[in-house]
Amino acid sequence: MSAGTNRWSLVLAPLGVGVVVILFWQGLVTVFDVPSYLVPGPWLVAKTLVADWSLLSASLLVTLSIALLALLAAVVLGVATAFVFVQSRAVEMSLLPYAVLLQVTPIVAIAPLIIIWVRDPLPALVICATIVALFPMIANTTLGLRSVDRGLLDLFRMNRASRWQTLFRLRVPSALPYFFAGLKVSSGLSLIGAVVAEFVAGTGGTASGLAYQILQAGLQLNIPRLFAALVLITATGVALFAAASLLAWLTLRRWHESTIAA
Amino acid sequence: MHKVTDDGPATALELSQVSHVHANGVRALDTVDLLVRRAEFLTFIGPSGCGKSTLLRIAAGLVAPSQGAVRRADEDATAFVFQSATLMPWARVAKNVALPLELAGAPATDREARVAEALARVGLSDFAQALPRELSGGMQMRASIARALVIAPRLLLMDEPFGALDEITRGRLDRELLDLWQERRFTTLFVTHSLVEAVFVSSRVLVMSPRPGRIAAELVIDEPHPRDDGFRLSARFAALCGQLQSLMLRAGAA
Repeated sequence: MSAGTNRWSLVLAPLGVGVVVILFWQGLVTVFDVPSYLVPGPWLVAKTLVADWSLLSASLLVTLSIALLALLAAVVLGVATAFVFVQSRAVEMSLLPYAVLLQVTPIVAIAPLIIIWVRDPLPALVICATIVALFPMIANTTLGLRSVDRGLLDLFRMNRASRWQTLFRLRVPSALPYFFAGLKVSSGLSLIGAVVAEFVAGTGGTASGLAYQILQAGLQLNIPRLFAALVLITATGVALFAAASLLAWLTLRRWHESTIAA
Repeated sequence: MHKVTDDGPATALELSQVSHVHANGVRALDTVDLLVRRAEFLTFIGPSGCGKSTLLRIAAGLVAPSQGAVRRADEDATAFVFQSATLMPWARVAKNVALPLELAGAPATDREARVAEALARVGLSDFAQALPRELSGGMQMRASIARALVIAPRLLLMDEPFGALDEITRGRLDRELLDLWQERRFTTLFVTHSLVEAVFVSSRVLVMSPRPGRIAAELVIDEPHPRDDGFRLSARFAALCGQLQSLMLRAGAA
């Protein structure tokens, strides 16, 4: 099989599966006459998406801003923490357990506290989503900054490179593939964190993201709108992941094995 | 730092009573005494794990020996060529070669000229803008040698530099290295597993015993330079290989 057909099948095969599943879903709903307040068919969901677009797009913008701000914060904080960690093993050993603690604490459990402490809903939600997205950035970037070719490290030492020269000319480029691996994970997590935090903030909050629409639609038994909001969240997650992957590919494609087509 | 004059034999490197124990407790080297003359091509041969690489790293100043003293005449002009090419995969060949100069803060114009010269010397002028992965193994090794040459080394340390290459490429790079050595007269410390390679390139071969490594025997190769394929095919070459082989057997190194 040539590379060209390979690439097409890479897109067409999953697309085909999607089309089959959607048709099957629509078929089941139509044949068994399932009421739309239980399971709406894909066609109805699509129509609702268009009809409620002004409402849903405003909510999408809110959720997307929270996710993006959280991702940005996670990248900045994660990379900064990783830089501190690689300066000394003692610092890493002292702080790593707390980073792990942050990772294993369920965000639903601490979100109410954060929402009480931080009065403004937007920063409160961004903080929650950041906590969810932070750890992969710390863990991957730290691993990357440490995964340096021993020979190159010797070469830098022999040429009396300063700590900064070794950091920026050797450790940072070596860490890039790992950083992007973290970014791909964190991009999805930032959205999950944003949605979860919105759920905890509940319908009483002034922010009205997609989770708020899901809650409201559920209470009103407007299940087609609930599905439409769900579709938007999923699509946003995929888009964030795709953007992170594209960024990784653009940066690494010239030299890193992971991006060089076999 | 004491300067060594160019005329007359002088010592490029001296190791006295050097022993080394690795952090994991393995005794790598046992009381090595070594005097390396300037512009000598000195080769270490021995079984894997005999401490050859450790010896080279101590000579480079990368490792401080557990015991003993190391004196290098040319602290600043020491270059190391590793077992693998050890190039930065994200940087173009010219950038890789320029690295030692950049780290030392050499001015850009000076840098460019010296990089171009080093690349020309190893025949990689056309590949200055290539990425390492685009080069063959042999070409990557040439780039690695260019990076060593760019600082005009007085002492060149090479740790099995051509070990991973095929026989033909290795033979060619050996010849090119000898040409370079004759032209620049840098002191060379060379580590190899290959008896044939050792006899071809060296002015002196030291046979090392298995761990803990010590210098078990010495063979002076007083064949004049330039050496070519004629030397490889000569009866004298075969005799020297035989001599080295029996020295290695006696040392338990083969």
